Amino acid sequence: MSLVFRPKHIFGETFSSLRRNFLMGFTAITTVAITLFIVGVFSIIVFDIQSVLNSIENQVEIAVYLKDNISDDLKIYIEDEIKEWPEVEEVTFISKDQALERFKTQNEGSDILKEIQGNPLPASFEIRLKDPQKIEQVALRFVDKDGGNIEGVDEVIYGRNYVKKLFSITAVTGTIALLIIIILVLATMVLIFNTIRLSIYARRKEIEVMKLVGATNWYVRAPFLFEGSFEGFIGGGIAVLLLYFLNRFLLIKGETALVETMRIKNLALLGTDNVIIFIYLAIIVIGILIGLLSSGFALRRYLKV
Amino acid sequence: MNMIEFRNVSKIYENDSAALKDINLVIKKGEFVFMVGPSGSGKSTFIKLLIKEISSTTGTIFIAGRNICNLKNNRIPQLRRNIGCIFQDYKLLSDRTVFENIAFALEVIGKPNYIIKAQVPQVLKLVGLYNKMDSLPHQLSGGEQQRVCIARAFVNRPPILLADEPTGNLDPATSEGIMKLLSRINLIGTTVVMATHEKSIVNAMRRRVVELEDGIIIRDQKRGVYGS
Repeated sequence: MSLVFRPKHIFGETFSSLRRNFLMGFTAITTVAITLFIVGVFSIIVFDIQSVLNSIENQVEIAVYLKDNISDDLKIYIEDEIKEWPEVEEVTFISKDQALERFKTQNEGSDILKEIQGNPLPASFEIRLKDPQKIEQVALRFVDKDGGNIEGVDEVIYGRNYVKKLFSITAVTGTIALLIIIILVLATMVLIFNTIRLSIYARRKEIEVMKLVGATNWYVRAPFLFEGSFEGFIGGGIAVLLLYFLNRFLLIKGETALVETMRIKNLALLGTDNVIIFIYLAIIVIGILIGLLSSGFALRRYLKV
Repeated sequence: MNMIEFRNVSKIYENDSAALKDINLVIKKGEFVFMVGPSGSGKSTFIKLLIKEISSTTGTIFIAGRNICNLKNNRIPQLRRNIGCIFQDYKLLSDRTVFENIAFALEVIGKPNYIIKAQVPQVLKLVGLYNKMDSLPHQLSGGEQQRVCIARAFVNRPPILLADEPTGNLDPATSEGIMKLLSRINLIGTTVVMATHEKSIVNAMRRRVVELEDGIIIRDQKRGVYGS
């Protein structure tokens, strides 16, 4: 084994090989950079779609409108009951006055305000859940045995169909995204595999001689594996740089607008979050792994001598 | 001492063609043996089996008393370090000088620099190319390239030297020089096995001749000539 790890041999061979097969190495690096860049852009977009969907999901609420004639005792009883449900994140009571106030600010300057006499708006509970997926389950608790609403409750609104659609969209985009990323990574591997195979092919005579004079497999393999991972690393690094500049100079403005209008947090493109750093690191690691695995596979044939 | 021993060795390739059939052969230490026969008779298979480039289908092969048939893959390099190989096409690396080509064989088996610096000039003197150590292969004649190949095979002083048609690309006068060189290496005590189909060389040398035809030994003569 002492023969295997000889840094001078590994690094020396790698760099002289990169010099000798400059075009080949250049092709491999460019290929990694371009495909990983696409993978990166795609992951960021997917991540952002996911976080948009997630924050819409989290904004989903149940509104429980109360009858005007509800007694204070019953109101307090219902509120206490809701607060005890484990699924509930937060429950807010909106009185008739508050509801009117809110309506007025939302429709400021509109003619509709002149039409309103007295206060037609009901008081309500607004319920936010820890897990929005449970919304239907919770909403159904306001329904009694006969299918009507329980005493004191006028109407329960939670946009059942809309919520269901949203959840299925979230799930489907996630799966599709994962599939596309896997396909892109595999395609990259095939491309790198081929470029490194060409580089090995260009040096097949050297490998043959090495094997014939009794070099160990690892001695032959090590410089190629290092070359492969080095090319993957550089390619991944270039992809990350491109992503960084794309992110920095093109997309942040658009995203900021989106964030402000939709109150969405955790957008990867903003670059402030750990997520973007994770994506960058992952791309470099994937680059190294792609280089390593592809050269490993490509070498197998030539080591059989 | 038996340097090479084949016991009932057969090699059948995947397409069911038998390259060697039930070969029994003993080559002693220090012998010089010609393997002769037409192409396709099994000469190359014989040599490939010795360096375990391929494995025998049945039978056992011993080198210096050790069975190499059950040798694990990671022990093959060790075997090859004890067998020098010479080829018809020299297999020199065209972008390296004579010195570098020979040094390469020592580098890849992990020999330190000071040994390389001592042994390469020494072997170059032996093959008569000391003053050409900085030349590139394409600047040399065919005979000189073959000498580099021999130097590379012999620089590690292996006990066995295998030569596969070493004079195949050379004219008779140059071939004679190569044969003299191989004889000298043999006189130092190296066992030499040479596959050839060149009549004049075999006849001139008067060494042991093993003749193969269709994978069978049809003649094994102590001081033979080509063709009986």
